[in-house]
Amino acid sequence: MDKIIIHAQKLQLSYKKGEPVIKNSSFSIHKNDFVFITGKSGSGKSTLIRSLYGELPLESGHLNVCGIDLKNISKQKLNVLRKHIGVIFQDYKLIKEWTVEKNVMLPLMIAGYSKNVCTMQAHKLLKHVKLLHKADKYPLELSGGEQQRIAIARALAHNPILILADEPTGNLDEYSSEVIWDLLKGAHQHLGTTIVIVTHKIPSTLGINYKHYFLDGGVINEVS
Amino acid sequence: MKSLKNHISVIIPLFILLFSFEFVLNLDRIVKNYEESLFDDYSIVIASMTTLNENNLKKEIPLVKKLQPLSTKKVIDKFKNDFSPANLALLRTSLPKFYSVKLKYPPDEKTLEEIEKKLRAIPSITKVETFERSYTKIYTMLNFAKIISNIFTIFIFVISILLIFKQMEIWTLEHQERMYIMGLFGSPFWMKSAVLYKLVFIDSIISALAVGAIYYFVPKTEKFKQIMDSIGLSFGSVNFFDDMIILFSISVFITIFSVTLVILRQRTELK
Repeated sequence: MDKIIIHAQKLQLSYKKGEPVIKNSSFSIHKNDFVFITGKSGSGKSTLIRSLYGELPLESGHLNVCGIDLKNISKQKLNVLRKHIGVIFQDYKLIKEWTVEKNVMLPLMIAGYSKNVCTMQAHKLLKHVKLLHKADKYPLELSGGEQQRIAIARALAHNPILILADEPTGNLDEYSSEVIWDLLKGAHQHLGTTIVIVTHKIPSTLGINYKHYFLDGGVINEVS
Repeated sequence: MKSLKNHISVIIPLFILLFSFEFVLNLDRIVKNYEESLFDDYSIVIASMTTLNENNLKKEIPLVKKLQPLSTKKVIDKFKNDFSPANLALLRTSLPKFYSVKLKYPPDEKTLEEIEKKLRAIPSITKVETFERSYTKIYTMLNFAKIISNIFTIFIFVISILLIFKQMEIWTLEHQERMYIMGLFGSPFWMKSAVLYKLVFIDSIISALAVGAIYYFVPKTEKFKQIMDSIGLSFGSVNFFDDMIILFSISVFITIFSVTLVILRQRTELK
């Protein structure tokens, strides 16, 4: 049995006490899993992913991510957890005042690597996402697809155990979406990164084995 | 342009705050200097029928620094041509002994009254002149000027702090998204806020240097020296380096304190 990366037990999440968005859900995600979480709009997909990187506190139950218990987690421990995770968002969340290169360097800077190491790794990743020639540009000078590729490069920069992606292709056209899926697939296949993606539509031409969870009425169920 | 505007919005209130602080500091020096020169010239004059002993007087009035006999020669010399030597000798023996009493530090009105009372209680003393009116008038005026300037500075201080605080809020809001994104990757508090601390540190240096330069160069101008001389005031000895350290410390403390408070407050509000 592979190591468990995410383990949720009777997890309950809510924005307002007594009105749970995620109800009594239990699930486990293992190392090197490629997971899709789907569900209708408002079903709580983004809420669930927010709780996985510690942005939303648990109402009840247990949640363990990368070996760290998220119940009443301290700020320091949360920072430790986030150093093991790469996050990708629908709206990219790139720092617009920073160059593309510096954005990719961010997780490495936080990890305390020297400037040379950060630059070298950033260039390697930018080459991987085929945007090395745009290293000196600012995010707003790039297209949506390019920005998302930068976000993926940033998410991979510190070689995370887990990548959490919230609708990574939600704002992109078909061609850009395919590039993004290929990059995520590549990270999973070549780096062994566990990938959890919240999306409203699973791509039909992915070509790898994946797990599928479906959120309905606040309860998460695995689709076999 | 926007960045320059942001910097100026911090530098100006900080400059005004430091300028008023340095003004109070210098006014205090001027007042102290003036007070000292005024006090140097000040003494109580007493007339006594018998010779007074300085140590005995000091025991009675601890504030007494020195008891100096005043010569009556000048008074007697005035009558030299009109009086016979025998009468002059009689005048010399019948005249009381005059003394000037120097004090250890400038007394306030109440202390001066007490000293006068104690002096009058000594049986041999027939006359005490404290020059209270002219002395206390100037002393009160100087203290009043000091109080007014202190109140004025407190107002400026509060307004400047509020302006700096507002600007810090604007800065924090401008940097909020960046700080949030950095937080998503586990950035510690100091790293997220480093840019803001760097900005306020630079502004602190600029403001302190600007105020320091004004207070260093303006007193050296001929015009300023002329004005000060004409009204008989002076700064006394000023250690410019010490003043710069004080200004810089205040400036850094205020800005770092404000930015930390604003960041922490917004972090709590976001929770």
